[in-house]
Amino acid sequence: MIVAEGLTKRFGDTTAVSDVSFTVQPGKVTGFLGPNGAGKSTTMRMIVGLDRPSAGRVTVNGEPYRASRAPLTEVGVLLDAKAVHTGRSARAHLRAIAATHGLPKSRVDEVIDLTGISSVAGRRAGKFSLGMGQRLGIAAALLGDPQTLILDEPVNGLDPEGVRWVRQFVRYQAAQGRTVLLSSHLMSEMALTADHVIVLGRGRVLADAPLDELVAAWTATTVLVRTPRPSELVEALSTSGVTVTTAETGVLQVEGVTAAVIGDTAAAAGIPLHELTPTAGSLEDAYLALTGDAVEYRTADVTETHQEQS
Amino acid sequence: MTATATTTTRSPHAAPEPIGTRAHLTFGRVVRSEAIKLFSLRSTWWSIGVAAALSVGISLLMAAASADFGPGFPPVMAIVAPMQFTMLVAGILGAIAVTGEYSTGMIRSSLTAVPQRGAVLAAKAIVMGVFLAVSSAVIFAVAVVATSGLLTPQIDWSDPAASTVPIAYGVLSMTAFALVGVGFGFILRNGAGAIAATVGLLFVAPIVVSLFSVFGTAWAWVTDLGQYLPMTASQTLTSVGAEDTVPALIALLAWVAAGLLGAWAVLRTRDA
Repeated sequence: MIVAEGLTKRFGDTTAVSDVSFTVQPGKVTGFLGPNGAGKSTTMRMIVGLDRPSAGRVTVNGEPYRASRAPLTEVGVLLDAKAVHTGRSARAHLRAIAATHGLPKSRVDEVIDLTGISSVAGRRAGKFSLGMGQRLGIAAALLGDPQTLILDEPVNGLDPEGVRWVRQFVRYQAAQGRTVLLSSHLMSEMALTADHVIVLGRGRVLADAPLDELVAAWTATTVLVRTPRPSELVEALSTSGVTVTTAETGVLQVEGVTAAVIGDTAAAAGIPLHELTPTAGSLEDAYLALTGDAVEYRTADVTETHQEQS
Repeated sequence: MTATATTTTRSPHAAPEPIGTRAHLTFGRVVRSEAIKLFSLRSTWWSIGVAAALSVGISLLMAAASADFGPGFPPVMAIVAPMQFTMLVAGILGAIAVTGEYSTGMIRSSLTAVPQRGAVLAAKAIVMGVFLAVSSAVIFAVAVVATSGLLTPQIDWSDPAASTVPIAYGVLSMTAFALVGVGFGFILRNGAGAIAATVGLLFVAPIVVSLFSVFGTAWAWVTDLGQYLPMTASQTLTSVGAEDTVPALIALLAWVAAGLLGAWAVLRTRDA
C-alpha cells in the first residue's frame, strides 16, 4: 500500500507536484494517468526516495521507502528503462543490484528468464533496443519479488507480446494481493489493465476513482441511430430533452436517452430503424474530458489546421 | 539460418520462488555490489591497463638511462616517478566510476536499491580505494622485477627509506588520487566537469603554483601553500630521505577526506 499525504515538490519557481494525496490499495492495479508534465514521474520518484518532497510525505507499507531494510523486496520500481549503465551487460547489471540484498544468482537467472531476455543477457545494455531495455528494467524491478510494483510507462517500446505479458503479469500480481501502480499514455491498454485510476493534471489530483466509475462520470453514452426518416425521428425525440447530432445523412448520434426509449419512440411514430447501437464512452474520452484544461503541452487540432491550410 | 531472438516471456502464472526473509541490505553486500559494478565495466580494465603500461614503460626507460643519471638519482625513483602521469588515470577512473552512473541513469537504480546514500558512497570509495591500492602495488612490483636487470645502481632493499617506504607511499598516493576523482564525481556529477576538476587539481595546480616561484618573496606564500597540493604532497612522501613527511601525509589524506565529505554532503541532500 502506498499512501501519499499532501505531497508537494517545487523545483525553483515551478511546482511540479502540489499537495497531492492518494492511497494505492493492494490487490488492485492502479493506473496513474496525466498529461506530460503533470507530475507523475516526480511523484513516483518521491515514493522511492530519489526526490525529496518539498512538503508532505509518502509511505510504502507504512514506512518511508528510505527507512526500509530490504527496499527491493518492498518495492520494485521501473522509472525509466535507461537507469542502466550502458557499458555493463544486462546480467552484470542485475547481479550488481541483486548483490545489495544478498539475492542469489539463481534469482537473477529467474528474472532474466521471466522477462525473456536470456538470449541478450550477456550483451552490453547500451546495445539494447528500447523494448529490450524495457524488459531489462522490468527484470530489475522484479528481482526482490516485491510486494509493491511501481512501473512508469512499462509498455513503452514493447512489442504486442510484451505488452500483453506486462498486462497479464501486473493483473496476476494484483490478484496475489500485491500493490501495483502503473503509468501509461496508452489509454486502451490502461482500460484493459487498471481497476482504479488516479489522474494528475498540473501537479494536482484531478480524479481518484474506480475505472468504470470514472468513465461513466466523464463520458456520455451515445446511441447511434440509422434511419431513412431522420428528421421525423428528431422531431419525435425532441420532447425528451435530448441532443442529436448528425454525422451523415440518415445517421444520428443521440445523447441523453437510452436505446430502448429511442426504439419505443420510433415504433410509436412508425419510423423504421436500420440500426440502434449504444456506445459507451472510453477511458480515452473520459481522460481527455478530465484533463482538457490541464494539458501542459497542447498540440494544434489536426483537422482545424488542415482546414486553415486548404 | 535466421537468428531468432527468443524474447518470449514466461507465463506470469509461473510464480517465482518466494524470496527468503534473509534478503536485506547489509554494508558488506553493498560493497560487493560496487565491486561487481567496477569489475563488469570494460573502462575499468582499459584504465588500469593504460596505467600499467605507462608506469612499467616509463620505469623501464628510466632504468635504461639510470646509469647516466649520476649518484644523485635514487633507484627507487624509477619505480614511483611514473606516477606523475598515471595519477591522472587513477583520478579519471575514480571520477568516471561515479559520473558514468549519472550520465547513464544507473545512479537511480543504485539509489533505489540502496536508499542509504552514505552507504553507496562509502562502498564505492572502499572498492575504488582497494582496487587502486592492489593494482598499484602489482604495477610497482612488476616494474621492480622488470627493471631489476637494468637499474644502476640497484634498489637497496635493506634500507626501507630508499625502497619499500617510497613504494608504499606511491600505492597510498594512487589510492588517494582515485578517491579525489570519486569525490569530484559525486560533487559535479558530470563526466567532463569531474575529469577537468581532477586533472586541474592533480596536474595543473602544481604547474600554476610553480610559476609563482619566480615572482619573489611577496608571492612565496603561494609556493608554500602549493606544498600541500595532492601531487606535491605525494612527491614529498615518495622522495628518498624526505625529512618531515607528516604534514605531507596529513595534506594528502585531508584532500581525500574533504572530497568525500563534500561528496556526501551533496549526495544526501540533492535529488538524484
